Amino acid sequence: MPILEVKNIHKSFGGVEVLKGVGFSLERGRSLALIGSSGSGKTTLLRCLNFLEKPDAGAISVNGELLFDAADAGTHTESGVRKKRLHFGLVFQNFNLFPQYTALGNVTLARELLARDEDGFKTDKAQAIGRIRDEAEEILARVGLADKMGSYPHELSGGQQQRVAIARALALKPDILCFDEPTSALDPELSGEVLAAIRGLAERDTTMVIATHEMGFAREVSSHIIFLADGVVLEEGAPDRVLTNPQTERLRSFLGAVL
Amino acid sequence: MGESLADVTLRLLEGFGVNCVIFAVTLLCSLPLGLGVAFCSMSRFRPVRYISKTFVWIIRGTPLILQIIVIYYVGGLVFGLPPIERLDAVLIAFTINYAAYFSEIYRGGIESISKGQYEAGQVLGMTRPQIFFRVILLQVVKRIVPPMSNEIITLVKDTALARIIANKEILMVAQEYISTKVLIWPLFYSGLFFLVFCGGLTLLFGAAERRLSYFRA
Ligand SMILES: Nc1ncnc2c1ncn2[C@@H]1O[C@H](COP(=O)(O)OP(=O)(O)OP(=O)(O)O)[C@@H](O)[C@H]1O
Ligand SMILES: [Mg+2]
Repeated sequence: MPILEVKNIHKSFGGVEVLKGVGFSLERGRSLALIGSSGSGKTTLLRCLNFLEKPDAGAISVNGELLFDAADAGTHTESGVRKKRLHFGLVFQNFNLFPQYTALGNVTLARELLARDEDGFKTDKAQAIGRIRDEAEEILARVGLADKMGSYPHELSGGQQQRVAIARALALKPDILCFDEPTSALDPELSGEVLAAIRGLAERDTTMVIATHEMGFAREVSSHIIFLADGVVLEEGAPDRVLTNPQTERLRSFLGAVL
Repeated sequence: MGESLADVTLRLLEGFGVNCVIFAVTLLCSLPLGLGVAFCSMSRFRPVRYISKTFVWIIRGTPLILQIIVIYYVGGLVFGLPPIERLDAVLIAFTINYAAYFSEIYRGGIESISKGQYEAGQVLGMTRPQIFFRVILLQVVKRIVPPMSNEIITLVKDTALARIIANKEILMVAQEYISTKVLIWPLFYSGLFFLVFCGGLTLLFGAAERRLSYFRA
């Protein structure tokens, strides 16, 4: 059974239909690369997955559980959505770190707030917080920031900030981690370190959906590529097949322009 | 000298007590009230938003002196109510007036925080109140300290307007020395009170800005 199933997502903004029935499925431990020209709806699709936008039609299931169905208002309640979001993580193009928290604080904040709702938190508060902190430190070390835990976002380079953002998302152990062009706000020499961190996640079999303009990276890290155009999945398949042997003229010209 | 320095100091201090009361009560009431008005101005409900914005427009668009006079006289002359205390009229007028100004500062501060900050919190499963209190608030505070300090220092000097309906605040006391004793120096001396008070506030706000300088927002 696929871990993520997305069916027939439609989304319009003020009468303009951006997504016209997008669907795909993803197996646990695999990565999906989302490619397509600017304005093709990559961000919109990721935002729908993370419940930042509400699709006009379509359904999203994780692990066989129906999380969202546009036709079923019972799946739209605010408190329900907040819980369901935790199946997903999202790394933004422009990081969106919390400036008043250190790198470590950024990673632990949401985890600590969630822990308050768990049984037994009150009885063993110090220990629970200690555990969250240890985990956060371990995750930060994994993305190469062991020596930057106490730094505030403005004291970090863009690449370091983005890696903190990745650690922050990882700390909640999402089933599926989404990336929206994680390196496009970075200078080329800084994007390497972020890509390396994501590559590390792929090696650990993290399930990911990655919108990207970097075709080399998409090919290397993903097991499946989706080409979005005109609001639909115009072409999809294994990276080698999609990137070297495009079937449609649209994909051919897109690849010609970005490669 | 017709009056001893100690005498004048005491009388001016007494007057300045009134200024201080107006300052403190206005701040205490208008800071929270202004936040309420700010939320109304940003409300998703159009009528609430319009009422709030109209309120702010009227209050900021008319002189504070006029508002003081209106509040002092309108109850008695228009509605036949018993007269209200001179000081109370001033406190009400100041609170309303400053709430309107503060609300715009709050609104500017809150609206200047990028949508991405809210979305980052949402994606991490935080509740709306958690996002506001744990992520947004401190960034807003940092951004509004400079405009707030400006406004609050203006408030110190505005308290002198209380004399328009014969509250015995410091300037009124000082001016009486001109008419009764032909003494001008108490007037300059009263200015010193304001200078010292505002100087203290400036130091305080400077310290607040430094306390918040550990991050950038
Ligand atoms: N909140 C919104 N309101 C109105 N239109 C929107 C909104 N969000 C996205 N759009 C429109 O939807 C279309 C798809 O935008 P989207 O950001 O999803 O594209 P994208 O594939 O991520 O592009 P890019 O590669 O530039 O990031 C664009 O035409 C955009 O203008
Ligand atoms: Mg985008």
